[in-house]
Amino acid sequence: MKSSLSKLRKRSHCRRILVISTHAFTQLARMKVFYFLAIFAGITLASNFFDLPQHAGPEAVGANVLSSIKSWSLGAMTLFSVVLSVVATALLLPKDVEDRTLYTILAKPVPRIDYLAGKLLGVLLLVFVSLALMDLLMVLALQIRTSMVVAEQAAMASAMGYTPDALASLRAETLANGPNGSLQGAVLVVFFRAAIMASLALLISTFSTSTLFTTIVSFAVYFIGHFQADARDFYLQAGQAGQGGFSRFASLAVSLVLPDFQLFNVIDAVIEGQALPWLMLGKIAFVGVYYALFFTLASWFIFADKEF
Amino acid sequence: MAETTPAVEICNLVKDFRTSFRGRPLRAVDGVSIRILPGEVYGLIGPNGSGKSTTMKALLGLLVPTAGQCAIFGKDSLRVDSRDDVGFLPENPYFYKHLSGVETLRFYGKLCGLAGRQLKDRVNELLALVGLEDARDRRLGGYSKGMLQRIGLAQALVQDPRLVILDEPTAGVDPVGSRQIRDLIFKLRERGITVFLCSHLLEQVQEVCDQVGIIFQGRMIREGRLDDLIAIEDQTEIVLRDARPDLVAQISVLVAETPGTTLVRTGKPRTTLERLFLREIREEQR
Amino acid sequence: MNAWLKTGILLIALLAFGAARLSYESGLHREFRAAGLMVPRLDIGSRGRIGQTSSAVALAGLRTLVATFLNLRAYTAFTDRRWGDVEQTFDTMVDLAPHTRSYWDLGSWHLAYNAASYYLNDSKLPPLRRREAWRSHIWKGRAFMERGIANNPNDWRLLANLGLLLTDPNKFPAFRDINASFAAAAECYQKSADTGKAPGFVHRAGLYALARVAGKEAEALRLARELYAQGPKSRTPTLRMLLFVLEAHENPSMNTELRALELLGPPEKAYAALAAHWQRSRERFPVFGVSSAIEALEKSLSIPKEKSLLGQALPPPPDVDDGFRN
Repeated sequence: MKSSLSKLRKRSHCRRILVISTHAFTQLARMKVFYFLAIFAGITLASNFFDLPQHAGPEAVGANVLSSIKSWSLGAMTLFSVVLSVVATALLLPKDVEDRTLYTILAKPVPRIDYLAGKLLGVLLLVFVSLALMDLLMVLALQIRTSMVVAEQAAMASAMGYTPDALASLRAETLANGPNGSLQGAVLVVFFRAAIMASLALLISTFSTSTLFTTIVSFAVYFIGHFQADARDFYLQAGQAGQGGFSRFASLAVSLVLPDFQLFNVIDAVIEGQALPWLMLGKIAFVGVYYALFFTLASWFIFADKEF
Repeated sequence: MAETTPAVEICNLVKDFRTSFRGRPLRAVDGVSIRILPGEVYGLIGPNGSGKSTTMKALLGLLVPTAGQCAIFGKDSLRVDSRDDVGFLPENPYFYKHLSGVETLRFYGKLCGLAGRQLKDRVNELLALVGLEDARDRRLGGYSKGMLQRIGLAQALVQDPRLVILDEPTAGVDPVGSRQIRDLIFKLRERGITVFLCSHLLEQVQEVCDQVGIIFQGRMIREGRLDDLIAIEDQTEIVLRDARPDLVAQISVLVAETPGTTLVRTGKPRTTLERLFLREIREEQR
Repeated sequence: MNAWLKTGILLIALLAFGAARLSYESGLHREFRAAGLMVPRLDIGSRGRIGQTSSAVALAGLRTLVATFLNLRAYTAFTDRRWGDVEQTFDTMVDLAPHTRSYWDLGSWHLAYNAASYYLNDSKLPPLRRREAWRSHIWKGRAFMERGIANNPNDWRLLANLGLLLTDPNKFPAFRDINASFAAAAECYQKSADTGKAPGFVHRAGLYALARVAGKEAEALRLARELYAQGPKSRTPTLRMLLFVLEAHENPSMNTELRALELLGPPEKAYAALAAHWQRSRERFPVFGVSSAIEALEKSLSIPKEKSLLGQALPPPPDVDDGFRN
C-alpha cells in the first residue's frame, strides 16, 4: 500500500499549481461572484436605450448607441476585473492564514512558489472566465443592435437617394463600430491590466497585515499608475532641458516604482472605433506578462521565508 | 538503515520572536531537543504558551529556527521534501468551508500528488477510518468541531505519511469526540505510524503516549518513557476483586507486622469522570 | 534572511525592473500615439469641469464611459437651451473621447446651427447683442469642427460637414470674407475627397464651393470637366450648369445658346435650368453667360419681352439683419 502510494505520486510544479488554482477558483466561485453577471447583463441592456435623438441624417442614426454599448460594457468589465483581481487576491492569502488552512497546505510537500502562483492563477482564471462571459453578452447585444442600425440607416439613406457607393461606405463605417477583432483585443487588454493588478495585490498581501490595507494600497497604485507616464515624460524632458533637482528625482522614482497604466487606455481608442493591430496587442500582452511575472517573483521572495 | 533514522530529530532548537521594533526579543523555545523513533507515540505536554506549537511549526518548516536544527526522517525541515512523509493537524483548524468532506480530502490528496483511482480509494478509505462516510458530501461549514477535527486528521493522513503531528487534537471537542480521536491515535499506533502530539490535557496524553516530554517556558524540563516517569518507585499497588473485609483486615495486619513498610491507604479505586460519562452514555444508548 | 537586507534587495530589484521597462514603455507610448491609439492626456481644466469623482473614473481608464454620461448632460442642456453648458460639456466630452466623430459633429451642430438660430429667433437680448451672439456661435461651431478635424484628419465626414457649414447661405453674413470661406469650404471638400472614403457627392460639393471663389474659375473649370468626364451618373443639373458658366467665363465669346442646348438639353429644358440657376442668386453661384443664354432662348422660344425673366426682380440676398430689426 505504502510503496504503491509513494511510487505513483506525480510531482510537478504545474500539477500542484493547477490543483491550487482550480481550488481558489472554486472557492471564489462559491462566494457567488458570478452573480455580478446579472448586473452586467442589466448594464448592457440599459446601454441599449442610450440613443439620444440628435442631428438629422442617416449617419447619425444609432451613432451613439453602438459606442455607448461598447463603453458601458468595457467600463463595467474594467471595473469588475480590477475590483475582483484586487479584492479576491487581497482576501485569499490572509483568509488562509487566519483560518490556519495555510498550515495544512504548507505542511504538505508544496513549495511556497506553487502556493502563490496557484492562488494568483486561480484569481486570473476567475477573471478570465467572467470577462469571457461578459464579452459574450456584449458581442451578442452589439451584434443585434448593429444589424438593426445598419438596416435603419440603409432605409433612411436609400429614401434620401444615396448612391450605392455612399451606401456601402456608410455600412462599412457602421460595421467598424460593431463587434470585431479589435474589440476582442480590447477585452484582452482589460484582462492584462487585471492580471497586473492581481499580481500587485499578491505582492502587497505578502507583507501587509490586513485585507483592507492591501486593497487600499492596490487601488492607490492603480490610480497613480495612470499618471506614471506623465512623471516619466517629465523626467525625460527635464533631462533634455538640463533641469535637475528634487522634482526630477521624484519623477524618476515615481516612474521607476509605479506601473504604467496609461498604456491600457488603448481600450478607449478601440471603443471609438480605432483598429488595434495584433502586433500592438502582443506588445501590451508582453507588458502585462512582464509585470505579472516580476510581481509574482517578488512576492515569492518575501513569502519564501515568511513565518506563520 | 531506515530503522535507525529517527522520525523526528530536534536538536537544541531556539526560537526568538521580535515583540516590537526595539523591544527585547521574546524567546519562545530555548534549547529544546526531541528525538522520536519510528513507531513511537510521543506526547509533548505543557501549559498554554510554553512553546509546544512553536516547536511543531519549526519542525514543519513553518518557522525558521533562530538556532538549532529540525529534521524529519533525516531531512532538514526547511526543505520541501521533508514534508513528504508527514501529516499535520493544526490546533483548531478551519478548513475551506465551501468544500465537502470528500472535496477537502481530494484537494489535499492532489496536493500530495495523488490522482485518479488511487486518490478515490484513499479518500474512501480515510472517510471510513475517521467515521465520516455519512457526512462525506456535506460542506465543512456544517460540520461540528469533532467532525472537523476528524476530517483534519484524515487530511493529515492523506498521503499515508510515516509521521503524524497533532497540535491539541482534542481541544474544544466533547468527550465522545475526544474518545473517537483517541481511538484513532491507537489505530495509527497499530499501523506503525509515528505520532507526535502536544496537549495540555494530561490524562489523554497519559492514555496514548509511550514517550512524554514536559515543556515549560520554552525549556524541556522532563522527558522519558511514560511508565518510568509516572511510576512511584517506593509504592506498590494491589487491586483485588470481590475481597471480603476480613481479608483486607488480614493484609493490614500483615503489613503492620512487616518493619519498614507502611500502609498508605485502602479503599475503592475510582473510575475517571470521563470513563463514567462514556459508560453512562453507552448504557443510555442501549 | 535579515529583514532589512531583504527589503533592500527588493527595493533595488523594483528600481532595476522599472529602469528595464522605462524606455520600452516610452517607445510604446509613441507608437500608440502614432497609430491613433493613445488619447491625449486630460488637461487640468477638463478634470476640474467634470469633477473629482468623474475624473478619477476617467483616469481609471474609463474615459469613454464618462463621455457617454456627459452626452446625457449635454442633451439636457440642449433641451433647456443652456448654450454655455452645451459648449462646455462638449468641450469636455471631446477631451475625453477625441476620436468619437459624433461628439465633434454634434457639438459643432449645436453651436453653429441650434445656438445660432436660437439667438436669431428667440432671444430677448437687444438686436445688436443678438447679432453678435449669432455670429460668434457660428464661429464657435466652425472652430469646434476645425479642432475635430485636427484630431481626426482622416475623417471625411467631419471635413464634408465643415464644408457644408461654410457654404450655408444662411450663414454667409457671419463670415466677413465670403470669398475666403468659399475657398476654405472647397479645401475641406477636397481633403475629404482625398481620404478616398468620401462618396461622389462630396467631390461635386467641392466643385460647387470652388466655383464660387472669385479668381479660381480656371481651376474650377478643370475640376468640372474632370467630374463631367466621370460619366452620366455624376452629371447632376448643378454640375452641368456650372460647367456651362465656367466655360462662358473662360471664353466670353462662346455661343452660349448652342452650348446651353448641348449641355442642358432641348430648349424648354435648358431654359428651365437656366432660369432656376438665375434665381439661385442667394447662393452666390457665378452666372457668366447665363443672361445671354436666357436672352437667346427667350427669343427662340418666342417669350414676350415683358415676360422676360431678366426683367423680373430676383429674390433678395440673404440679410440676417432683417431678423434683428424687429
